[in-house]
Amino acid sequence: MAEMQTISSLRTPGAKSTRTVSPKAGLKVHLPFLITAVVLVVYGLIVSFSATYGNANYSFPKQAMGVVLGIFLMLIFWKIDYHQMSDYVMFFLIVNVVLIFLPALPVVGLEVNGARSWFKLGPLSFQPGEFAKVSVILLAACVVSRYGGNLNRADEYLKALLIMAVPFVCILTQPDLGTGLVYLFIGGVALIIGGARAKYILITLAVIAGGIIALFTLDPILDEMTGSDVLLKEYQRSRLLVFLDPSYDLAGDGYNLQQAKIAIGSGGLFGKGFLNATQSTLGYLPESATDFVFCVLAEQFGFVGALVLLGLYTSLVFNGFSIAKNSNDLFGTVVVVCICGMWIFQVLENIGMDCGLMPITGIPLPFVSYGTSMMLVNFVCLGLILSVWAHNGRH
Amino acid sequence: MLEAIIAVIATLALIAIALVVFFRIRAGRKGEGPTLAAHASVRSINTVVSASKGSGMLSKDAPTTSSPRGSSGRMSDGLKSRFLAMSLLAGGVFGTLAVKLWSLQILEGSSYRSDAQNNLYTTVYTPAPRGIIYDRNGFAMVNNRTSLTVLADPSVADDHDTVARLSALLGIPFNILVQRIEDSSGGAQSQRAIETEASLRNVSFIVEHSDAFPGVSVDSRTQRNYPYGALAAHAIGYVGTITDDQLNREYEGRTVQSGDIVGQSGVELAYDDLLAGDHGVRTLVVDSAGNVKDVVSETDPSRGSDLYLTIDATVQCVADEALHDQIASVGAAGSVVAMDCTTGEILALANYPTYLPGTFVGGISQDVWDSFNTDDSYYPLMNRALAGTYPPASTFKPFVGMAGLDNGFITKGSSWKCTGTWTGFGEEYPQKCWLEAGHGTLDFYGAIVNSCDTAFYEVAKEFYNSNKVSETAIQDYVKQFGFESETGIDISGEAVGRIPTPSWKAEYYADAPEEAAWQPGDMSNMSIGQGYVLVTPMQVAVAYGGIATGKLMKPRLLKEVRNSNKEMVVSAESSWQDLQVSEDHLKTVREALRGVVTDNAEIAKLFPSVDAAGKTGTAEFTDKADHGWFACYAPYDDPKYVVACIIEEGVGGSSSAAPVAAKVMNACIKSGNGKLKRNVSFVSSKYEKGKGGKTSTARQD
Repeated sequence: MAEMQTISSLRTPGAKSTRTVSPKAGLKVHLPFLITAVVLVVYGLIVSFSATYGNANYSFPKQAMGVVLGIFLMLIFWKIDYHQMSDYVMFFLIVNVVLIFLPALPVVGLEVNGARSWFKLGPLSFQPGEFAKVSVILLAACVVSRYGGNLNRADEYLKALLIMAVPFVCILTQPDLGTGLVYLFIGGVALIIGGARAKYILITLAVIAGGIIALFTLDPILDEMTGSDVLLKEYQRSRLLVFLDPSYDLAGDGYNLQQAKIAIGSGGLFGKGFLNATQSTLGYLPESATDFVFCVLAEQFGFVGALVLLGLYTSLVFNGFSIAKNSNDLFGTVVVVCICGMWIFQVLENIGMDCGLMPITGIPLPFVSYGTSMMLVNFVCLGLILSVWAHNGRH
Repeated sequence: MLEAIIAVIATLALIAIALVVFFRIRAGRKGEGPTLAAHASVRSINTVVSASKGSGMLSKDAPTTSSPRGSSGRMSDGLKSRFLAMSLLAGGVFGTLAVKLWSLQILEGSSYRSDAQNNLYTTVYTPAPRGIIYDRNGFAMVNNRTSLTVLADPSVADDHDTVARLSALLGIPFNILVQRIEDSSGGAQSQRAIETEASLRNVSFIVEHSDAFPGVSVDSRTQRNYPYGALAAHAIGYVGTITDDQLNREYEGRTVQSGDIVGQSGVELAYDDLLAGDHGVRTLVVDSAGNVKDVVSETDPSRGSDLYLTIDATVQCVADEALHDQIASVGAAGSVVAMDCTTGEILALANYPTYLPGTFVGGISQDVWDSFNTDDSYYPLMNRALAGTYPPASTFKPFVGMAGLDNGFITKGSSWKCTGTWTGFGEEYPQKCWLEAGHGTLDFYGAIVNSCDTAFYEVAKEFYNSNKVSETAIQDYVKQFGFESETGIDISGEAVGRIPTPSWKAEYYADAPEEAAWQPGDMSNMSIGQGYVLVTPMQVAVAYGGIATGKLMKPRLLKEVRNSNKEMVVSAESSWQDLQVSEDHLKTVREALRGVVTDNAEIAKLFPSVDAAGKTGTAEFTDKADHGWFACYAPYDDPKYVVACIIEEGVGGSSSAAPVAAKVMNACIKSGNGKLKRNVSFVSSKYEKGKGGKTSTARQD
């Protein structure tokens, strides 16, 4: 409680007065960033179209609707002055907890693939955990920007860490380790950009690594003692083990990984051509439109197509960094870098798991994976970055 | 190669883009850096000042916290290094992914491409019709018939309604249907045969109501067909689903698939490679659930080659029926073999009890299989002609006689006095002649014709006491007639029998040394074909052929092989071994064998139209009825055919085996003269207890 008071007392009502320039003359545009984003969205739609083609479980029009809706959301967030959001630590914390616990509610909560991560009310269904990514970023930015770039006191560092740990702990109850890792990564980026001492960050990493090792050693023991899955769900454990040893479970998760690698590898240099991804259309590749959508791309468009995608992400992220550097306050910088960091992590995790570099988790590929929630969140992020560019009065 | 070069260029281009982006950012920072820093510092001071105003708790820290931020240079440095870290992270992530993709798609691309092809294409094999099996005159003994097969996709197993409808229509229990659909032994993607003998009515119903039977189809397949039942069942053999051992064997010029129907015994097994034909091959595009999406290519199966056997179907039918009729009155089991002793061609090979090879078509049930392997059933699958080993009894005497003649211990004019009891090896070891009253004085001719045991005890004694010949002179001599070795017939399952020797006995009784010594009695017992001697009916036939012609023929069942265009592809040739025996002594033995037929009215009347020579035998057992033997050849002056017959528990050779052998011999002679009218009827297999007339009572003796 004491920490809460400290943080909330950091609120700076005067922050609003920093909005010295009002964007009367329309919205300022960072052209390279926007063009990259447009090309990426179009590329994503093409891949999404081929991944959903002839698959009754997915609907491409729904995905396209997500993009249209996303553009509206992006324009709204672009228009809003991001500075207005910099004061609401408590607000974002509550939003986070509410969003993350939404699926846990009876009636409206929905369990899919062992994780209770969907909210469903009538025709409306979405993954609140996806939307919480935005509020996690804003929360992290609010917290660290209070310290003006010098988070060099251990107790303050711990406070910031604790606040940012709340959404992570909440999402683990679903349980959704993949999204939790995204939150964790966002928090880490926020701490780095926010100026936390390298020593603190290294100690935190060491503690986390130790925790994971302890988890893996304790989990089987506790499971044995209590007779049920206590810490890790069986599938989470097996996925991590498959990552460490791909031959661990060739029929289950190992099968998925093997089929993903076959899809990517068989694409070769130029790929098999549009709509010729046999691995996904014949169903050998599981979740081909969502988690393994990159395989569909790599199979159709080959190494060249994959490089184009990586190039687009690189351009998006580095243009984002350039916007972040031009921000006139730390909050804007942290928001933009956290969003870029989130994308980097999601690309690493999603493509990495397809290649066997990372364990298999259900993390979508930004702008490419099928899913309206994910699409809307990414457009909100685009809007936020554009807002940081637009609402800095120096241009 | 081209791909690799282009890939290198693409990678270089990516690196170039990354560098341009990097330097652009750096240049931008250099140009704007100071402005940004100054600007930011002003704003951040504002922020921190207002923060310290609003926060009492932090106020004492505020100046220290804000001062670095306020000093533009240090703030910028701090952010710079953190941005550098983030840029390195981003570059590292995207670079690592690009390198990994390079390795997957370019370096290992071809291996993954073939994996994807393996996923994509599935090859399904359709069975080829087997070749037809003809007799020597082109009479089809085994052919194929088309059966209407109801097939179901593997997924039908989960479709409760369809399975229920099929169950009601075909009259197959629900659970058994599901089992058959789930049986993937024919391959994961192949359709499952759920009924191989569907009626036309049921098939029509399924075809007309295809909406009610999704995933169910009807196919006409070829099955082995046996129009004459058990005719030559052991020579032809049966077919069955390939076993795991057979799957793993090497095959030349042919591929086998799980679920194939292959020969399991007889010529079906021996000439399986010729009979089998080539599979039809369908290459399919199959999705992960096993649904067929497309047929890429399809070749029809090609039928296997046809076999022409040496068997004469009419003679075979006579043999099968004669054996059956005999055992219906006296006997428990039996075997008869007829061979052309000039070529080695088998004209008939019959065993009783026998089985219907058709039982194996479509799979044999465990109950029936078990019933084939009980003592009560007398093992109908056993090819007694090759695998049955029996004491040869008196049929062995001509060979022992030849041994005596050729070694000079006896002559045509030797004379023996038979009193019914022989004590040649000492008073304490008396041995009986089968005629306990004694035969009186006999010469060689008389000894064979009357089958006098005493005479052959004497022969054994001569050998046993002689210093001139080796300990195993008799054994070595008789072995050149093919005993204790395979005849070399072209189907498998041959037993070699046994000709006992001192060293064999020592080994056989290694665990009971008191029994292991070679006794004089072992010699005398062997000389009358009793004791430890064991032979097969086929060996006896071949050996009598040897006496008749001086040549030991290699028996065979194959005459020729013709492909499906009726062109001859294989023509079997005769092979033999010349016997190294005295022609004079052979003549002496032949005369005596002729006498066995002529001097015995009972036997003479069995051969009304041909001059035959032969020998009876009665193998004695302590625990069951005697086995009757008869071996003969004809015509006497120009031997063409040899027949050997044994009737287990048939008691007397002349009463049980001779009539059967004579019927077969007479049929052979007629067949050779072209006077045998083709007459092949359905041969049943009545091995069941109680159906074989007196057989069941005979067994109780």
